[in-house]
Amino acid sequence: MSGVPPRIEVKDLVVRYGEGAPAVDGVGFAIAPGELVTLLGPSGCGKTTTLRSIAGLETPTSGSIVLNGQTVYSSAERRNVPSEKRGVSMVFQSYAIWPHMTVFENVAYGLRVRKAPKAEVAASVARVLDMVQMQAYADRPSSNLSGGQQQRVAVARAIAFSPNVLLFDEPLSNLDAKLRAEMRVELRELQRRLDITSLYVTHDQEEALAISDRVIVMSNGKIEQIGTPEEIYNRPNTLFVADFVGAANIVGGKVAGPGPNGTLIFEGQGGVRMEIEAPPNGRGGDKVALRSSYIHLTPMPQTHNAVAGTIHRRMFHGDFIQYVVDWPAGQLIVRRPPTEHYTEGSAVTVSFLPEHCVLL
Amino acid sequence: MRSSGTNMWIAPLLLLVCGVLVFYPLIYLVTESFNIGDAQIFPPEEYGMDNYWELFEEPKIILNTLWVACLATVMAVLFGFVQAWIITRTAIPGRARLERLMQLPYYMTPLIGALSWGVLLGPKTGLVNQVWRSMGFSSDFFNIYSPWGIAWVMALFEGTVAFVMIAASMKSMDPSLEESSRVLGASKLRTALKITLPMVAPGVLSATIFVFAEMLGSFAAAFVLGIPGRFFVVTTAIWEATLSYPPDYGRAAAMGLSLSGAMVLTLAAAKFIMRKGSYATISGKAFRPRPMEIGAIRWLLMAISWGYIVVAVILPLMALTLTSFERFATVVVSQMQFTIANYETALAMGSLAPAFGNSLLLGIVVATLGVPTIGVLAWIIYRSRMPGRGAMEFLVMVPQAVPRLVFGLGLLWAWINIPIPIYGTLWLLGIAYFTVFMPLGLRTIAGVVLQVDKSLEECARVCGAPWTYQMRTITLPLLRPGLVAAWLLIFIASVRELGVSVFLMGPNSKVVAPAIVNSWLSSSSELSAAMALMQTVMVFIAVAILFRVARKVGGDVV
Repeated sequence: MSGVPPRIEVKDLVVRYGEGAPAVDGVGFAIAPGELVTLLGPSGCGKTTTLRSIAGLETPTSGSIVLNGQTVYSSAERRNVPSEKRGVSMVFQSYAIWPHMTVFENVAYGLRVRKAPKAEVAASVARVLDMVQMQAYADRPSSNLSGGQQQRVAVARAIAFSPNVLLFDEPLSNLDAKLRAEMRVELRELQRRLDITSLYVTHDQEEALAISDRVIVMSNGKIEQIGTPEEIYNRPNTLFVADFVGAANIVGGKVAGPGPNGTLIFEGQGGVRMEIEAPPNGRGGDKVALRSSYIHLTPMPQTHNAVAGTIHRRMFHGDFIQYVVDWPAGQLIVRRPPTEHYTEGSAVTVSFLPEHCVLL
Repeated sequence: MRSSGTNMWIAPLLLLVCGVLVFYPLIYLVTESFNIGDAQIFPPEEYGMDNYWELFEEPKIILNTLWVACLATVMAVLFGFVQAWIITRTAIPGRARLERLMQLPYYMTPLIGALSWGVLLGPKTGLVNQVWRSMGFSSDFFNIYSPWGIAWVMALFEGTVAFVMIAASMKSMDPSLEESSRVLGASKLRTALKITLPMVAPGVLSATIFVFAEMLGSFAAAFVLGIPGRFFVVTTAIWEATLSYPPDYGRAAAMGLSLSGAMVLTLAAAKFIMRKGSYATISGKAFRPRPMEIGAIRWLLMAISWGYIVVAVILPLMALTLTSFERFATVVVSQMQFTIANYETALAMGSLAPAFGNSLLLGIVVATLGVPTIGVLAWIIYRSRMPGRGAMEFLVMVPQAVPRLVFGLGLLWAWINIPIPIYGTLWLLGIAYFTVFMPLGLRTIAGVVLQVDKSLEECARVCGAPWTYQMRTITLPLLRPGLVAAWLLIFIASVRELGVSVFLMGPNSKVVAPAIVNSWLSSSSELSAAMALMQTVMVFIAVAILFRVARKVGGDVV
């Protein structure tokens, strides 16, 4: 994003409700035009509060928010532009479909507020309803739409007046699993097609990884890590990120010294010796995170990491089989493709590559 | 709500106005209760506790009150429990309709109930007693002018209140709680005793206490059915004290405040029990428990259920209707003389026709001005982050803790002592109605305000709508059913108001309910029946509209 000024820029944002720890504690990030960035974290981590502060629905305690180069909130300048003048749009978790209006009226609302000519309103509404495949429902009362349909109308309404920035507050969390997976693809398609800068809040790590250009992981009001989905998954910065995103095994121990080819030797619990990749910034740590999907149960030729273990439990999940493996450091969760089959009690060799071991 | 110039002063202004309306009369009431000098002079020349000690010198009134309240509570809870069980848990035909009809007794009002049961079971002249005597008995079948009579009329009315509360606790019970008991091997009876009963018990208990508290402060039935037999409860004793010469306002105020105190304590107990013991409402979800299949016995249960509606609504209204068209109230066909003279008199009599006009006018004006005011209050209390909104809610709900009769007494005394000459005018009645119906309005509107999800409004703002545009296009349309319901409820309450009106009505500002009572006590039952029926028709028209509104939004605004 070098050179291009960011669409959304948040600096040192603090939101405090009464006494106690702030809900948002010094959050800052920048989003480039056309980017889709996700705020990911458990409930109560401050992600929704951050989003609502950008929308102007919460008044922060301090910090600044700049949208399209215009400062919409700044505690230093004592400036707080009201929601309706920020030029953002939002899809709410509850969809917030107005029950007393038809689908058309819902979608037309933002255009009518802006006093768009009648013909333009009709054309724009038809265009966006077409995009979300709801054109057949335009004249229906909105009170008896299904969850998925309400979701589509909410999206259509949010994009109808061509906002600069689109905010999503857990838009898929009220849908069932299958529909959620479908809508995920559609939302990403739509966002790409419109090339609209988007900030997306979710607590679903799978969703965050799947749809985002970049992910911001939050916990307790603070940012834990910002990065592409691959970076977040493969190179977690903190124990929290390793644990919250994806399934990871955490092995406690200490670094024993340098290993071959620039690796480190990590001595884990139960005397497990692991060859791990040296962290790029040279920092140390006393734990190693190891993703379940990156562990093999047969020796791999390209690594010295091979430890004897026993299959304790086997659970068939369909897309993968999850094994609980007893090994010297305790128990290890391993996910293997359903084509690889081991019976409970059988002896295996736990094997993994140094670059998949992240020192924390 | 965004902080802007208008909003800055509207909240303190409302707080001030409501504060004056609520506390000004109460301050008078409290001061007067300690007045042991000349009751007519304000501020009092001498203060003391004598008015309170006097209450215990005449324990009969307290005992009477407790006796009637206990009788009525036991009957009302029995009615309510049986109806709730039949309607929510058994598979009788037409349950939905019965449930809707169960609201009707509430709109009958104790006053109409007392008048019609007076017509039915008054000594000698009561229609049922006439039949009884014509069958050769030498005494009455039942004398309604008795503690049992008052309790009976009140129980029919409060039965619906108990029904609503008990049915709610039965409905909010997750059927899987009983199912799991059965699956674990418990018999039907054991499940009923060990699971169902403990779950429903808090609801029944709080209904009992609530009804008991309402009974302590009830006035109309004791007034109509108790005064002729010189049987006094606290409320009617208060009334009597103000009528004596010289009027003993001090004693009346002391009685009224003691009564309020007793009611507040009882209601606080009910609230405490509901919060402590209510397992059933934890989930907040409404379940429809699978009704029991009960075979042929369902016809019996259905008859019992309908029986209540017949006895509480249909029979009284039939008696009133018959009487109102007769020259002399009688059921002996050969003696019947039908006439519309009663209606002509009711509409022609000097002071009666204006009473109907006044009540209608007051109902319309109070509801029309009250709904927007209370709407703004509800908005500030439940939606804004304005400081002091908790105090505001408390303030608005205070009149609920004071029986209307007692509040009327305070208003009377307060406004007599103020140089603004509105005592005895409709203005004062209007102010009084607004004050005592604030809690009703706030509860009704709050119900809808809380139902409207905040994000519906936020979404409008994010879509670019300024606050006023959002109010006009989103908030008000969504609140409309609730506002209409609140309007109708306040209108209904105004049209049938008695407790405050008996004190504040003047010769030129007569209203319906006290006029009916006066006519009952001083002239014929036939004329009173005609007037009562006219009032009931007014109320039921409003109720019919209310039900229609409620059905249209599909919600439970009532």
